[in-house]
Amino acid sequence: MFRRSTLARHGLFFLGLAILLLLLTSFVFDPYTNYNVSEVAIYAISAAGLTVLTGINGQVSLGHGALMMIGAYTTSVLLTWHADLPLILMLVASIATTGVAGAIVGIAGARLRGPYLAGATLALAVALPQVPSHFASVFGGNQGLSISPPLPPAFLGANFAPEEWLAWIALAAALITFFVLANLVRSATGRRFRMVRDNEVAARLSGIDVARTQVLAFVVSAACAGLAGSLFAYWVSGTSPGGFTLNLSLSLLTAIVIGGLGSLSGAVLGSFILVYLPVWTGGLTSSVNLSSNVANNVPLAIYGVVLIVAILVFPRGVAGGVASIVRGATRTLRSSRATGALPAAPEAPSQ
Amino acid sequence: MLEISDVTVAYGGVIALDKVSLSVPEGSITAVLGANGAGKTTLVRTISGLVKPRHGSVMLGERQLVGRSPEAIARLGVGHVPEGHGIVSELTVDENLRLGGLWRRDRADQRVAIEEAYELFPPLRVRRGVHASNLSGGERQMLSIGRAMVARPTVLLLDEPSLGLAGGLLAQIMQRLVALVTERNLCVLLIEQNARSALSVADSAVVLSMGRVELRDTAERLAGDDALRHAYLGF
Amino acid sequence: MRLFVIYTVDGITNGMVYAAVALALVMIWRATRIINYAQGAMAMFTTYVALVVIRHGAPYWLGFVIALATGMVLGALTERLLVRPVEARPPLNAVILSLGVLILLEAVAPMLFGGQTQSFPVPVSNIDLVLGTTQLDISPFDIFTIGAVLVAMLLLFVIFQRTTLGLRMRAAAFNPEISRILGIRVGRMLTLGWGLAALLGALAGMLAAPAVYLYPSNMDEVLVFGFTGAIIGGLESPVGAVTGAVGVGLALSYVSGYLGADLAPLGGFVILIVVLMIRPQGLFSFGRQRQV
Repeated sequence: MFRRSTLARHGLFFLGLAILLLLLTSFVFDPYTNYNVSEVAIYAISAAGLTVLTGINGQVSLGHGALMMIGAYTTSVLLTWHADLPLILMLVASIATTGVAGAIVGIAGARLRGPYLAGATLALAVALPQVPSHFASVFGGNQGLSISPPLPPAFLGANFAPEEWLAWIALAAALITFFVLANLVRSATGRRFRMVRDNEVAARLSGIDVARTQVLAFVVSAACAGLAGSLFAYWVSGTSPGGFTLNLSLSLLTAIVIGGLGSLSGAVLGSFILVYLPVWTGGLTSSVNLSSNVANNVPLAIYGVVLIVAILVFPRGVAGGVASIVRGATRTLRSSRATGALPAAPEAPSQ
Repeated sequence: MLEISDVTVAYGGVIALDKVSLSVPEGSITAVLGANGAGKTTLVRTISGLVKPRHGSVMLGERQLVGRSPEAIARLGVGHVPEGHGIVSELTVDENLRLGGLWRRDRADQRVAIEEAYELFPPLRVRRGVHASNLSGGERQMLSIGRAMVARPTVLLLDEPSLGLAGGLLAQIMQRLVALVTERNLCVLLIEQNARSALSVADSAVVLSMGRVELRDTAERLAGDDALRHAYLGF
Repeated sequence: MRLFVIYTVDGITNGMVYAAVALALVMIWRATRIINYAQGAMAMFTTYVALVVIRHGAPYWLGFVIALATGMVLGALTERLLVRPVEARPPLNAVILSLGVLILLEAVAPMLFGGQTQSFPVPVSNIDLVLGTTQLDISPFDIFTIGAVLVAMLLLFVIFQRTTLGLRMRAAAFNPEISRILGIRVGRMLTLGWGLAALLGALAGMLAAPAVYLYPSNMDEVLVFGFTGAIIGGLESPVGAVTGAVGVGLALSYVSGYLGADLAPLGGFVILIVVLMIRPQGLFSFGRQRQV
């Protein structure tokens, strides 16, 4: 009963959202905005996956940039072999390869906790971008590979803006992803994710296969990263190692912290900020005439400060995130109840 | 003189100590007795600063201890021998003893104090270079008390020193303790579940139950009054 | 065979740099149960400071000392102001905090010092020595690198094992609560611990810069390899950390030489994963199995 009504509720919500976005992208947004909207959607997909893994299942991953890279290269390599492969197939292929990678990392990391897992995924984030340079014949070395952006189908007319078509694709992918994840989070599986995060021993005692839960969470989030990576390749019209540095992984983490750890809608907010903060600060810094060294790094500096301040200012940890201030008191209550704070150490004395 | 007045400690919703008051005069041993969970350890941890009370005051002579950090309280001369010895097992016996008075300026006197600790507990001298993890229960207790004495405290808080100690060894340590108290005019607060052993060395006694002082009397009277003993101490 | 010698010398030299980072991480872990992911970025920052000093005409050694001193201050301030509030909280807080510091430092460095890759001077030649007519595969700078880290380790050993300050620091790390009731100012010891760790990191930064060049993310890999070494060693044991790090240096050197330089970090990742899966408490820790 609960399942069906949640699904219906979600379905209606996303359908409405889809229609709204369709109208906006077609009639309101100019091509440049559509271009940015695609970027937001792409990051949102990846951030949503990371939210499930880190916010809801409690596993820290600093390697999601590397996972996105796997998705991007899968699509690019396949298209380089055969330029006519259909988009849907590329998305599925990327999801598959990245999902497998996620399974491998998940299995390897199943026994790792906290700082150890963070360190291992950090190692991945630093190591993987160097692999394409080595197998240059397949991966195009440091230059990377180019692919053509997806062409709008003929029935939309010859003058249909490709940015709009890409926005439609990215948004559709994002909507579907969020629909699936929203239902997953509310389901028994989602509950298992949270239980393992909050109290692993209790979860194990109540019969949950912890290792399998951890791996599943990794696979799901990796699949999202793979989808995002594939779309990213289309968006950039290519893939190169330089696009997937450690900064990407750290930015994604910042995005979900800003949005509120464990909140899917927060992932959207975080992604929005991730895309638009450089745009806004770029405008500011150019009007103040700062050097490019300063200007380019302002968004990153802000991310660093935000992370530090978020941790220091919230006594219970990053439960509500910076966004909870924005969303107001009642939403804070709801998000900290639903997302569950980071498992706080009990205050009991050692009596 | 150690003066504890109206101390209330709460964890979350649970009241661990409820308006507890007692005084420990110089040169005397006050036993704090009671069942598990009565609040005895909480009391000691409050005095040494590891726990902050909701109300109340702990005066050491003229000085208020509440609100100070544990380090500051230790440096005012409060020696805390915690439940379960609290020795640092990764360090050697000698290093543990040295820890006791590291904050003191007078290095020469510190060396004397360490020697005195070895005098007090000769078995430790033989084991001075041994890692504390390799000590027996009795040796650990001796080390813990010796370490507290190295700082030349005016107040000594002993939390369940009898735990894990065999009868003969316990009696020995208790005797040395009594000698020290008179020698150095210490205020000693002795937490014990083993009420019999505590009453044999204490001057006065306080019985805690559910965080409250249920009974306060001289040790002699409490040990001598069978009815009281049965009622409160179960023997 | 000759190649093997070259790779081995390289491996040991690099391994010693990773060892400095590994030691720093272990020191902080033992004191506060936190992995300082910003250790590499801090080292990068202090190396930039040294470069500025040197570019203004100061001799290398002054820059060297200033880098180490800046590192110490940076580490101490970070602990006192940023880390202290989260020391008692669940580990995820400290992870995110140190990542925030990492991001901030790597963003501020190019703002202050420029983002382009710069070369870094060496105090002694880094050209391989020639003995008579034989070319030795080691340079004076390599020797300096190995020697500097060894000296640092020796100094740390003396401080920790033979001084009262070291005794206090060890006690504060092993058992903070007991240390407090013995009158030890545990907070100060932790601050000092972070300061010393950052000093080690700064040393690693100065030793690495000539080879990897100086740019905002130049220490990312060094951090990862130092971390790997520390993990292999078990995070509790300084000796283990150094051994693990040198082992990592050697392994990476062989992978780089025989398989390809781009694959080295991936090799490191594989080593890390394998060790974490087989023996998560590290190869050198005995006794309590830690829930990793």
